[in-house]
Amino acid sequence: MNASTTTPVLEYCFTARYGKREVLHQVAGVIQAGEIVSLVGLSGSGKSTLALSLMGLLGYRGGIVTGSVRLEGRELTGLSGAEMRKLRGKRIGYVPQSPAAALNAKLRVRTLLEETWKAHATTNASAEDFAALLESVQLPGTPDFLQRRSGELSTGQGQRLLIALAIMHKPALLLADEPTSALDAITQAAILRLFGELNQRLGTAILFISHDLLSVATLSRRVDILHEGRVVESGPPARIFREPAHPFTRELVAALPRNAFPEA
Amino acid sequence: MRFLAIAILAAVMLASLFAPRLAPYAYDAQFRETPNAPASRIFPMGTDDIGRDRFSRLLYGTRVSILLAPAAACVSIVLALLISVPAASRVPGVGLAVSGLTTICLSLPWLFLFIILRAKLPLNTDPSTSVLLTFGLMGVAGWAWPARVFAAAIREIRQSGWLLQAQAAGIPPWRIALLYGLPHLRSIAAAQFRVLVPAYILSEASLGLLGLGVSDPMPSWGNLLQDLQHPDIVRANPWILAPLALLVIVMICLELLQSPPEASL
Repeated sequence: MNASTTTPVLEYCFTARYGKREVLHQVAGVIQAGEIVSLVGLSGSGKSTLALSLMGLLGYRGGIVTGSVRLEGRELTGLSGAEMRKLRGKRIGYVPQSPAAALNAKLRVRTLLEETWKAHATTNASAEDFAALLESVQLPGTPDFLQRRSGELSTGQGQRLLIALAIMHKPALLLADEPTSALDAITQAAILRLFGELNQRLGTAILFISHDLLSVATLSRRVDILHEGRVVESGPPARIFREPAHPFTRELVAALPRNAFPEA
Repeated sequence: MRFLAIAILAAVMLASLFAPRLAPYAYDAQFRETPNAPASRIFPMGTDDIGRDRFSRLLYGTRVSILLAPAAACVSIVLALLISVPAASRVPGVGLAVSGLTTICLSLPWLFLFIILRAKLPLNTDPSTSVLLTFGLMGVAGWAWPARVFAAAIREIRQSGWLLQAQAAGIPPWRIALLYGLPHLRSIAAAQFRVLVPAYILSEASLGLLGLGVSDPMPSWGNLLQDLQHPDIVRANPWILAPLALLVIVMICLELLQSPPEASL
């Protein structure tokens, strides 16, 4: 029996708090292998806290997760920092929101690639490996590009580089935390297409965290609506658009331009 | 202007480094028959009240001040780093304890402590001991301010997006500290160094003027300035003002190097 066909890539149900303040209340979700799921909520709804919780990084921001997070059937809560580090970047990749903040401007593209590679590999990667990886996210794999400092890249290039770093070790799950909100409309569409392609090509499951229902809906198999720390509604995008059940979802859908979603 | 400042500092540094070669006499050589001599071919800046060559003493004194102030600044910065890095740890209470210690250290009247400490020492304290003590104490006492700055920088780094990205990529913490964090702290350390060096030069001069710094016969800018307390001697030999002039010139140069290149005069 092939475990990956039966065990979900990610299955979670947990509560997250900073001190006494509870930010996420019993949020739950399941992502099957190769699936794209979106989590849509306004800013302050707990989206970033959710991403940090899933990666076991909430503790670094002073938060506590109680409940269960299972990655490929393995319970993550309670894992030591060292064990968790072995999974981050290897089985669970992370694409942050803003390249300007997430890339250390002083570091060269080559350094970022090498460090990310060495985090989980014992062998050395060749320049050809990096070139192939960069080309898979439509970045030039030239020696010249590898020598550039990340601060010299455009926002779109920076975001592509962040995606390249996240998929380097072919993780089972990609966590994308508002990966397009820092981009202009055209680049945004291109990056969304890239996520779709990577999902097709690598079979990577993607959890797309966004405030923008419209941009992620076309890609996703399922949309979870996060509101004030709770998942208030969950379903296929077509259903969410046609018959939103929760008052917040209705508000969210009503705010979209008319006939924006063709299947609705 | 920056270039000029660097050139002047380099010249002063070189002259003081080669003091043993450039100085016509040893700093403690006394020419008892010619005390308070005016400037002459034999004594370029005249002699002091016990007949020591002022020019030689200025060269050696410059060496003491200009080499030990940076050394003391390094001591402060290393201490500050050693103290502020645990301050950033997630162990509850440690950050608070270090921040409290820093606050206390910044609030202490260091000059009084210095005076008390010097009063405890015998009057005939070995000059090299007094040198080490003066700059050593300044170095040790000066950790608190840079520690504040480092602690703030580390807090900022802990909130940064690139730290999160590196952690999410599974890069080991020590690699992140070395590769991502250190370059950030290095530029802050350099800025702190540029602030501390002139501060320590001035502190030593002030302590020396009070007779609390480097003790005779070892010269330093501080104790060379002591002669300025006697205006009649200054009138007789204006070269007594040379250490003051040199101090001011070096301070101006150091201040010029503080400002970023594009903002300098």
